[in-house]
Amino acid sequence: MGPREVPTSRSRRMCRLAPLVTLIAACGLVVTAAPWTQPSTAGPAEGTADWVAARIDTRDTGRDSRLAMTMRLVDRQGRARERTLVITTLAAAGVRGDRVLVRFLAPADIRGTGFLVWEHAQQEDERFLYLPALARVRRIAGAEAQESFVGSDLSYEDIGGRKLSDYTYRMLDAAATWTDAQGAAHPAWRIESAAKDGGARYPRVQSLVRKDAFVIVEAQVFNRRGDREKQYAVSRLERPDGIWTVMDATMANDATRTRTTLVVTEARYNTGLTEAAFSRRELEQGAR
Amino acid sequence: MSPSARLARLLYRWRLPLTALVLAGAVLCAGSANLNNINNDLSAWVAKDSPEYVEYERFRREFGGGRVLIIAVAGDGLFTPDGLRYLDRISRDIGRLPLIERVQSLATANVVRQLPPQDGDDGGIEVTPLVGDRMETAAGAAAVRRDALDDPLLRGDLVSADGRVTALVISTDEERIDAVRGAVIEQIRAIVDTARPGGLTTYFNGPLEISETYNRITLANQQDLTPPVLLITIVALYAMFRSVRKVALLVFAIGVSVVWTLGLYVLLGYEMNVLTSMLTPLVVVLAVADDVHIVQHFDREMREHGDRQRAFESTISHLVTPLFGASATTALGLLSLATSDVVAVHSFGVGAATGVMVDMMVSIVLVPTVLVWMRPDTHTPPQEAWLLEPLRRLGRWSFTHATPVLVVTALVLVAAVTGVLRLRVDTNHVNFFAPGHPLHESADLMDRELAGIYSFNVMLDGPPESIARPDVMARMDQLAEALRRQPQVRKVTSVVDYVKRTNQQLEGGADAAYALPQAPGGIAQELFVFGLSDEGRTELERVVASDYSRAHLTVKLASMSSDVVFEQIFEAERLARDAFAGSDVTPTVTGAGRIFATLDHYLVTSQVTSFGTAFVTVFAVIFLVFRSAKFGLLAIVANVVPVAAVLGLMGWIGISLNVATIMVASVALGVVDDDTIHFIGRFRRETAHGAAADVAVERAAMDEGRASLTTALVNSLSFGVLWFSEYKPTAWFGSLLAVTMAVAFLAEIFIVPAVIASFPRVYGAAARRDAPAA
Repeated sequence: MGPREVPTSRSRRMCRLAPLVTLIAACGLVVTAAPWTQPSTAGPAEGTADWVAARIDTRDTGRDSRLAMTMRLVDRQGRARERTLVITTLAAAGVRGDRVLVRFLAPADIRGTGFLVWEHAQQEDERFLYLPALARVRRIAGAEAQESFVGSDLSYEDIGGRKLSDYTYRMLDAAATWTDAQGAAHPAWRIESAAKDGGARYPRVQSLVRKDAFVIVEAQVFNRRGDREKQYAVSRLERPDGIWTVMDATMANDATRTRTTLVVTEARYNTGLTEAAFSRRELEQGAR
Repeated sequence: MSPSARLARLLYRWRLPLTALVLAGAVLCAGSANLNNINNDLSAWVAKDSPEYVEYERFRREFGGGRVLIIAVAGDGLFTPDGLRYLDRISRDIGRLPLIERVQSLATANVVRQLPPQDGDDGGIEVTPLVGDRMETAAGAAAVRRDALDDPLLRGDLVSADGRVTALVISTDEERIDAVRGAVIEQIRAIVDTARPGGLTTYFNGPLEISETYNRITLANQQDLTPPVLLITIVALYAMFRSVRKVALLVFAIGVSVVWTLGLYVLLGYEMNVLTSMLTPLVVVLAVADDVHIVQHFDREMREHGDRQRAFESTISHLVTPLFGASATTALGLLSLATSDVVAVHSFGVGAATGVMVDMMVSIVLVPTVLVWMRPDTHTPPQEAWLLEPLRRLGRWSFTHATPVLVVTALVLVAAVTGVLRLRVDTNHVNFFAPGHPLHESADLMDRELAGIYSFNVMLDGPPESIARPDVMARMDQLAEALRRQPQVRKVTSVVDYVKRTNQQLEGGADAAYALPQAPGGIAQELFVFGLSDEGRTELERVVASDYSRAHLTVKLASMSSDVVFEQIFEAERLARDAFAGSDVTPTVTGAGRIFATLDHYLVTSQVTSFGTAFVTVFAVIFLVFRSAKFGLLAIVANVVPVAAVLGLMGWIGISLNVATIMVASVALGVVDDDTIHFIGRFRRETAHGAAADVAVERAAMDEGRASLTTALVNSLSFGVLWFSEYKPTAWFGSLLAVTMAVAFLAEIFIVPAVIASFPRVYGAAARRDAPAA
């Protein structure tokens, strides 16, 4: 695995943004910013693409969360497999980075399999895996930020976010609209994020951001050839516990002709989770 | 007035409008003939509705096709920072090209590695790029070499056992690549050639490169072989006629026939391929045969009577039946190829048969019309001055020495049949190229150092989740082991290997742990772990369906004789059936290797069916033409000998039956009967007018034998040009047909008179009583 860039300071970490999957942060799958974070008063001018990006990054996504969901993976032949999982998260605090625990409940052959991520500000993230068949916790490494997240069409980067400063932003349409599944139109911005790193796998993303929620509701991801490779679409957006959460969304990959649909069946925020719930011991024992 | 005389009169009256029609048609056909619409892909050989192709398509849609481009990079500096950086750069740059779906190389390969215990834990595993940033230092490069050679999935497949050769396996979007294949390969060559470190050499092969090479050869055959065929034809014709006007007429008529043939071929919806590049030389030589007969007959009439209309009508009246008979039999011989299941053979047969009939039409309309218009030659042409007397003597000698001639014929037949029994069926596409050819060299290297360029797959179908069941995995493992024990198999890989490798690393790396896990859920969970990474997920998609309802084993082979591959396929089918007997999983052997092995099978059956069809139809037409069983049998004797001789020769000198030579027998049968029909027709006319059999033979030998020898010389020389094709089957086809023409002439001039002399009651007095049909 190549070296992964990590923020060098807490303040820098605060301004991480997944231009695409801030959507995931936005839907509350992972905490990328502490709820108490406020937009910087010295930030970009209001209404600019940079300002929109910053607001997405810093909006309230809860101190901790517990999301039960179904992950539906559809392959290029149209065959679907479903996984039921629970993702619990704990926002970064102090020197400790974010914590993410993914626990698979179904199908039966992988029931109990757990995946734990410890993000670190100053060093490479740590990832642990628990396989019931082995009954032991194993560290795993080697996942690039843009690699698949647990075999889905989403990437780790989609889950964990990127550095705000790694991208430049451009406003494509300040008066766009997004129409939800019920047919209601909502004002939105359409912005484009361009990676400063010329070697980025996905150097360009066009996102539609709902103005009243600072949530990305559509996105198109372009590869290095300039072809659109992935498409993200939200079909249900709700606000449990006062936090905007994407309850139903699909990421489709045009290149592999696969897609992943996430349907959140239960979302709870600020439940009082502690660091103990994200230990290696909990990863192992929680499966039993 | 006989029907042929009435037709001659009609043609003379309408000669100008009919000639205008022929020329207008040629102009129209010239506009349609797109010689660049070339298809040498899989679909050029195998019918798309054949079960094997359907299975392959099902496999391809599920796991991606096997029509890959393989680039071997060889040299001592492979595992140096420069060498690895080169591999990394070309892998990335090729991966960015349009329609490239995947580049498998050391630079894109991932390995599963153990992580050492840390902070009191049990350690872990890492799915990580093999190369990564280790390419920056010599120590890192050496570590990459060590890891690559230690990995059973990489060693012998992507890297040779001595670390001197590596492969890049490039997969493309097979549905769209063929339209731009040449351009994409050129771009890849440019990438590979740019800044290649000294000491490293690159080699291209694989099904995609082979298809592209075939396309290049098709064009090269058209561009390079047609001019010398024409040149030799012109020189030979001039040597025989010593008349620029006649040679110009013959070349023009031949050109019109070629344009008609190629235009109609395209209008019939066929694409050009490596076989149809032989259409032009074939039509050229057949046109020569027809036109030489017409010109000689017309000249003789003009010299005898000096009346152009009479010469026109006499020529057509005398020649239309043998010309039609000869063309129809040739066309039927070629059309018999249409019964072949091999698409390219089928289209060649239809296209060539159409060309033959069109050529006859052009010959009887255009050539005599222009001859009427041309100023007659006053000199005696060399072919008349030089050939008449020797041929007369030869005819007489054969007639008077019938017994030794027939004894020699019998000996030749025995030798031929013995040679036929030695014939091999062999469609080794690599061996179709000379040893020094780049395709041959690269195949040798890949066969010797890597896993070879051929492969087939055993696809498994079962209910969802079945493949991940321990019992099915165990059966796959057993099948893989059984296949590995086969002498021709170089590498067998499947999802089982991925599970074993993951299990080994999760269990601490011991050699004994390179096995399927025994714990309940172990296989599913380890597959889940492997699929966590992007590369792991991509690799799994290539070997197992996401719902575990399908999987496959890839079996790699060195390039070899097709009959060996065919045997291997059968053995693999048997092993697979045994391995999954009693389970709910069904094995099917498919993949590119299966397709080509099946193609081989088609070739055998097509040889039998097309030759059988040709045999029956050609002789049926001959019987109809002569309306005489006796003379039909005489024609059979004269024609079977050359065909048997050429097949026997193939057997004796080791030329296999393959996609090109398979057609020799059928085409030869159709071609060689032309002169026999003319000879026998003339013999019958002479005897019907009261000539004794020996005199009739002499006259036939002089006049018809002269035309036969002229065409045999011209055609043998022209077909011989194909010998210079870099594609061996084309060279074999041309040379063998040249031999066939020569043997056919000998059979006509020796065997026919000898048989006539041996059966005087049948072919002497009896012939007088028969009304001449030709």
